[in-house]
Amino acid sequence: MNEKIARLREAAKSAIDEAVDLNKLNEARVKYLGKKGAFTAVLRSMGEIAAEDRPKVGKIVNEAKTEIEKLIVEATQKLKAAALADKVAGETIDVTLPGRKQPLGHYHPLTLTLDRIKKIFLNMGYSVEEGPEIERDYFNFEALNLPKDHPARDMQDSFYITEEILMRTQTSPVQARTMQSHEPNSPIRMIAPGRVYRRDDYDATHSPMFTQVEGLVIDRGISFADLKGTLETALQQIFAANVGVRFRPSFFPFTEPSTEVDISCVMCHGKGCRVCKGTGWLEILGAGMVHPHVLEMSGYDPKVVSGFAFGLGVERIAMLSYGIDDLRLFYDNDVRFLRQF
Amino acid sequence: MQVSIKWLKDYIDFDWSPETLADKLTMAGIPVERVIRADEGLEKVVTGRIEKITPHPDSDHLQICLMNVGQKETLQIVTGAQNVAEGQVVPVALVGAHLPNGQKISKGKLRGVASMGMLCSAGEINLDTSAMTPEELEGIYILPEDTAVGIPASEALGLDDAVLEFELTANRGDCFSVFGLVREIGVLSGHEPKWPTIAAKEDDVESAAALVKIGITAPELCYRFSARVLKNVKIAPSPEWLKQRLQGAGIRAINNVVDVTNFVMVELGQPMHAYDYDTLAGHSLTARRALPGEALHTLDDSSRLAKGDELVIADSEKAAGLAGVMGGLYSEITDKTTTIVLEAAAFNGASIRRTARACGLHTEASGRFERGVDRENTLRALDRAAQLLQDMGACTVAKGVVDVYPAPKEPTAVTFTAADINSRLGTKIESAVMTDILSRLGFTVTPQGEDAYSVAVPSWRGDVTCMEDLSEEVARIYGYENIPSRLPQGEAVQGKQSPKEDFVDEVRRILVSLGMSEELSFGFTHPAMFDKLRVPEDSPLRQAIPIMNPLTDEYPLVRTTLLAGIMENVARNFARKNTDIKLFEIAPVFFPKALPVTEQPHEVMKLAGLLTGRREDSGWAQTSDNLDFYDLKGIVETLLARLTIDGYTVEAGEHFMLHQGKTAFFKKGREVIAILGEVHPAVAEAFDIHQKMYVFEMDITTLMKYRGKGFKFAPLPKYPAINRDLALIVPEAVKAGDMRQLLVKKGGKLLKEVTLFDVFTGKQIPQGKKSLAFNLTFQSAERTLKDEEADELCQGMLSAAATEYKAELRA
Repeated sequence: MNEKIARLREAAKSAIDEAVDLNKLNEARVKYLGKKGAFTAVLRSMGEIAAEDRPKVGKIVNEAKTEIEKLIVEATQKLKAAALADKVAGETIDVTLPGRKQPLGHYHPLTLTLDRIKKIFLNMGYSVEEGPEIERDYFNFEALNLPKDHPARDMQDSFYITEEILMRTQTSPVQARTMQSHEPNSPIRMIAPGRVYRRDDYDATHSPMFTQVEGLVIDRGISFADLKGTLETALQQIFAANVGVRFRPSFFPFTEPSTEVDISCVMCHGKGCRVCKGTGWLEILGAGMVHPHVLEMSGYDPKVVSGFAFGLGVERIAMLSYGIDDLRLFYDNDVRFLRQF
Repeated sequence: MQVSIKWLKDYIDFDWSPETLADKLTMAGIPVERVIRADEGLEKVVTGRIEKITPHPDSDHLQICLMNVGQKETLQIVTGAQNVAEGQVVPVALVGAHLPNGQKISKGKLRGVASMGMLCSAGEINLDTSAMTPEELEGIYILPEDTAVGIPASEALGLDDAVLEFELTANRGDCFSVFGLVREIGVLSGHEPKWPTIAAKEDDVESAAALVKIGITAPELCYRFSARVLKNVKIAPSPEWLKQRLQGAGIRAINNVVDVTNFVMVELGQPMHAYDYDTLAGHSLTARRALPGEALHTLDDSSRLAKGDELVIADSEKAAGLAGVMGGLYSEITDKTTTIVLEAAAFNGASIRRTARACGLHTEASGRFERGVDRENTLRALDRAAQLLQDMGACTVAKGVVDVYPAPKEPTAVTFTAADINSRLGTKIESAVMTDILSRLGFTVTPQGEDAYSVAVPSWRGDVTCMEDLSEEVARIYGYENIPSRLPQGEAVQGKQSPKEDFVDEVRRILVSLGMSEELSFGFTHPAMFDKLRVPEDSPLRQAIPIMNPLTDEYPLVRTTLLAGIMENVARNFARKNTDIKLFEIAPVFFPKALPVTEQPHEVMKLAGLLTGRREDSGWAQTSDNLDFYDLKGIVETLLARLTIDGYTVEAGEHFMLHQGKTAFFKKGREVIAILGEVHPAVAEAFDIHQKMYVFEMDITTLMKYRGKGFKFAPLPKYPAINRDLALIVPEAVKAGDMRQLLVKKGGKLLKEVTLFDVFTGKQIPQGKKSLAFNLTFQSAERTLKDEEADELCQGMLSAAATEYKAELRA
């Protein structure tokens, strides 16, 4: 009997080994382990065996069945893996075909630039203020120490709506508006970004409409040194940590002392090139200590507080950051331009 | 304003190169725009003597010159010029020279003969050729025979000067003069200026006061009017030195009298005018306001009519000049002039500026008056002019000056303490350094107790009126670069922006994530745009605010809609063959409270967008379908959903620029929150676009008003959902939105989602009908639903649809 079982066992093993696919393997399983299989038959014929031998034979049969079942499971896994490998091998695609394009929108480069500037000042605790684009002459000029017929008005040729109302030429009127909305002498740290309008011809560096960011800091003890430190920090964040920053005396009616601020040329790093006209420096913004008249006109006392103000052109910074050589591209809205940002 | 280095060096010594000087002045607040060197390109051009001329063996017109250029060896140079002769000294461009006209000189051969340079004509070395004859122009420029050989040609030609071109700030009228600049250079260099002695000898028997009457009837516009009378005047060309100085200043020489007045203006900063005495009616000059309509013929030979607020200088009958701007033609100095009245006056800058702008006449004089001239300077200017003409032997000087100065200006006094200035600058500058800087600039500083000073401001510095002005004087000479940098102290404050700005940022973010790109267009528009957009005649959009002084005819109005700008941008893109476009813009439009405008208008923040062209970028795996109305609607719906705006209705609407059948209004109650639709073909045609376009427009404030409170978490369902499809055949006129609403109403609380997944007309569907197929999701948060419940709800929906819209279940 034992021999018979051993033979069956060997036969089953070789049937499993020889099975080339899952069907053949199944056939082997049915043949040996199925309801009408060889081992079932052995167990059915236990009646023919002496009663005392039955447990022993039963044990041998069950051991053999377990072993064969295990072999079948292993063989099944192996065959499945082989079948899957075959299938995968037949499914190769051309991975160099371009991917399916997903719709992607683009922020305007001026928005991107303005957002960066806003973030820098928001992080320094500045608030972002707004003001009307069609502004009173009073806020745009007079409250900034620019009375009518002041020659400095020539620097900002204006679009007038009436004698007293104009398209704002700068975001500076928000200075006066902000001060007048505050308790006198209370501290202010603000920036005011926005569109401004000047009667400038439309060319590679000028536009009748452009974007400015005004800044104003007022508190006790604010000095020109604070102005320098703040603008150096901001410009280093906008451009590069190692950008050179130069302060040149200048004149604005609303600040005293006034300064033009230059950065070392971002194209040639100060060596002199076409962009910086060989000077190594690029004019980037105007700033100064708020003129006492400006404080007084908006209810602040220049004996108690002082402040600094600055104004920078967003187009210029965007042009330098992205290497754009013609300002008109910003307002041309060619989609091939917009898609680059 | 421009001035030559030589003129500056007449009065101050400095060793700086023109470029260094320009840099020093710029960094002290006197911006130099440009350094113009007359010798640019003449670095390798020297003087040379023609030792020997031989004819060229192979040419009729070429000659071979042996040149002595101060070196051991002579140079052989071939020239085509015919005016050369042995012994002449001429400019020689050596090999390696790069001439002002761009020509580079290299070793060469002309018809087989080696040539080691080039002999130069006047034009080639940048000489002023305006007064030369054609022969002089064509030939080689011949230098005087005694010119040294081998020296730089620029030196021999007087081209070794440089000119500084200033772009002066509006506050520094005093630097509009050689003396003003010399004073600054003195402070910067530490050298003492060498001021000339100014004195006129009154050598005529007659007195000025007896000859001419001077008056001021508008003292608010004319602060001072001083005059001298010069007799026995001999009009002649100016001497060379004077012409040269003026040329450096960019002023054309005319005759000795005019040139001297111009010279004094540039030197002292005091504009002057000379009148032909004999042409002045009543021999009088009065500064008065012009009469409205009064005629004046100015020196530029144009007739002008006064508005009535200009200041004129008039004789007893008529205006003889537009004060501070330009003189009149009839009293002009001519060759026949023998007696002149010299005027040196101080006028109100604002008035001069108004007049100059109104006439479009910006002159050297008006530019100076606008910035303010020194009222204490008129007599010196008269003396200087008289002295110069006298030195030329061109006149005698009548006795005395006629000087009308109704209200002499008191010197401005300002007080400061060193602590004031240091705290404004953030510095620790010693008070001695401050007082030294101020004194050198001409301020008179008097100590007034500890660290406190009283300062008398010099008459030429009308711009300095307070301590803050003094702080700038100290800072700019001390050097901005020497001021430390630090960050402001003070209490920490929260950085923030307005909820509206946050909202706009979010709208922008959502639209960009939906594949739309942001455009920015000008805030102006043109009335023709309203016609192109088919804006009705009575629409408020046509009530656009006119600009008084538009830049061009292109943009005379302030915009009332973003749609015009977006259409212009799209048209521009189409012209460049960019036809797949998804653009949006967020910007204000402007509505007047009344026209004509009397107060600031309403500024309304709008959002507009446009889609056209293919839905997807082209590609092997992309569809080539075109965008349609439902892409547009999907974007608007998603935007609103992300902004947590819901509970709106959508209905067909009418809008002037949109296709009547393809226009939708999104509404909250009665308020329209979004308008969208296909651009009307006639509008597209007006922009020369032949492709379907879809636009939307919304109002930012309105959207903000309906914004929900943000996203809120809903627990995920615990019990399974049941799905049913319901395909309904309905008459074609039945709107999907209405049907959906009915289903939602009938479905009750258990109906969680209704998705319209198919709209079909055609085969199998009777004529005039369509099939709408909905997928319905039923779900309860409390229990597992039974199929029967869903079936029952479906049945209810179906019978309601049958009653309401004659719907039948599709077989």
